[in-house]
Amino acid sequence: MKLRNLLAASTAVLALAGTASAETMKIGITQNNVGVDSYQTTYEKAFIAAAAANADVEAVVLDAGGDVARQIAQVEDLIQQGVDAIIIWPTNGEAVIPAVRKAHQAGIPVIVTNSNIAEAGFDFVKSFSGPDNVTQGARSAEIMCEKFTAMGVENEAKVVHITGQPGYTTAIERAKGFEDRLPEVCPNVTVVDTQPGDWNREKSQQVMEAFLVKYDDIDGVYAGDDNMGVGALNAAKAAGREGIIFVGATNFAVGYEAMAAGDYWGSIYQSPVDDAEAALKTAIDVLGGKEVPFLNYFDTPKITQDNMGDYTKPVF
Amino acid sequence: MATMTKQQIGGILARQGILIAFAVFMIAFTFANPKFLSVDNVLSVVRSSAILGVMALGVTFVVIGGNLDLSVGSMMSFSTIVVLDLHDSIGPFLAIPAMFAMTLCLGAFIGFLVGYLRLNSLIVTLGMLSAIHGLTLTYSGGKNMDIADKEGTWFSVFGQGTALGIPVPILMFIALAAFLGIVLAKTAFGRKVYAVGGNGTAATFSGIRRARTVFLCYLLSSGCVATAGLMQASRSLGSQNTVGQGLELGVLAAVILGGASLLGGSGTIFKTVIGVLILGFIQNGLLLMGLQFYVQFVVTWVIIILAVWLDIAAKRGKLWSPLA
Repeated sequence: MKLRNLLAASTAVLALAGTASAETMKIGITQNNVGVDSYQTTYEKAFIAAAAANADVEAVVLDAGGDVARQIAQVEDLIQQGVDAIIIWPTNGEAVIPAVRKAHQAGIPVIVTNSNIAEAGFDFVKSFSGPDNVTQGARSAEIMCEKFTAMGVENEAKVVHITGQPGYTTAIERAKGFEDRLPEVCPNVTVVDTQPGDWNREKSQQVMEAFLVKYDDIDGVYAGDDNMGVGALNAAKAAGREGIIFVGATNFAVGYEAMAAGDYWGSIYQSPVDDAEAALKTAIDVLGGKEVPFLNYFDTPKITQDNMGDYTKPVF
Repeated sequence: MATMTKQQIGGILARQGILIAFAVFMIAFTFANPKFLSVDNVLSVVRSSAILGVMALGVTFVVIGGNLDLSVGSMMSFSTIVVLDLHDSIGPFLAIPAMFAMTLCLGAFIGFLVGYLRLNSLIVTLGMLSAIHGLTLTYSGGKNMDIADKEGTWFSVFGQGTALGIPVPILMFIALAAFLGIVLAKTAFGRKVYAVGGNGTAATFSGIRRARTVFLCYLLSSGCVATAGLMQASRSLGSQNTVGQGLELGVLAAVILGGASLLGGSGTIFKTVIGVLILGFIQNGLLLMGLQFYVQFVVTWVIIILAVWLDIAAKRGKLWSPLA
């Protein structure tokens, strides 16, 4: 009885898909590693919701689990399935290029989401939809400089910098944006040390503990994301060091709460929901024949204790 | 007389090669940055090593018993996430025993597979590394887990508290190391672990239940992992699902660095503790030197291999000993 119901239901779904495929766009996505952090989990949920809300879209949602080989196989599967467009969140900016080229040669437009692939693959990609990490780093530098100026320490402040995972594009771009912009806005602020926190709160806490031992005078901490920023904040609290200005990126719920508590100064507001919706919209626009810029950034504004009321607490 | 002294020195070197290596690094790092040996720094290094250290204590039993455990990293993530989640739903009093029970079940399952079904421990624990990670993600839905009321909970004592001026994680590490050191060296169970790892067949013929001993080693290891997860959760009061990822390699490195043989049958708790401290102080020392971090990856492992070589060379009494 149960089995029969199941069979009937699946036949109905097949029939529905059969009739629908005539006019709908079939868009496949292969994600980096859903579940590894809340950002990617929320992204997936938002993507599925956005696709379901659009009657013209049929989404095939896949996840590579952080594995390059699996992601390449998934791109090939999507090509075989004859999807109209492929969205890829690269597990590795270099290694996925051959698979992306294959899709391009099969006449399927490829949209890269969140983190871009390496430049060698740009010819095979229609558009990149995601945050501008260099700008994010630069904005964090501005947030920090503005705060130092307000405190009147812009001529002597010393900053330590905790980066994301070494070799990871997002980490490199944010670090570059920060390090290039800071001397432009606050030429007398010095970055005394830079070490990786690997996107990991515990690792970042350890790094900050070592910084606190090494430097008697630290005025500011820039962390590549709020998770690491809060780790550094915990270290400073445990050591009883007060008055340090913490600035992060990718505002997490913990960072938002620390800002509300007055411990953490500012961050960059980046919504995984915006990220997912922007990727889907880019794919739809490409399929609809609209002009889409190659680097299709969505906005990631500054958030500080002063304006945090304008933003809702992040869900991740 | 002169030869006698030389022999004595040789004997000390042979037994304590790893301690000597440890002392050499400590002196070198202190020269590089005098703050290295400051009380604050030493306490903070030992405190952050304590989590990895507690896990290494349990794995020492598994390794001496002739098996491997690669699942401890993801098992620690599991414990951390579970206890943080339960903290807010059923309160810390119940959350801690519930988390221990769940983690011990995982250990018992691995012990059953390796001990009673006699499956290869490398494959079993490699599989469990991945399976437990999946379990954690399923449990949490991939979300970061955070305690809502971070200021008002006594739960933070295991990771952030101090007693007699010493951080609680260090005290827990010392207490557990002392207890397990005695278990391994002075009890019948400890002797069985050495016997099973040293020569399994001989152990069987002398009436030791090998399966049970191996099973208990994994159970004990998972208990240590649960303790580490508790310390981790309490330290940051919030966590990602990947918090323990990769720790299994650090744990194994510390155990092997301490001189336990991967083939089983040898090793001590004391030397594992030294191995843990060497790893912790190397990482901290390189950080304080301000070495560029791309270089740190290389230097860390150069130092570890150097330490293993010093240890082996001291045991053999010569630096150069090619395969014959």
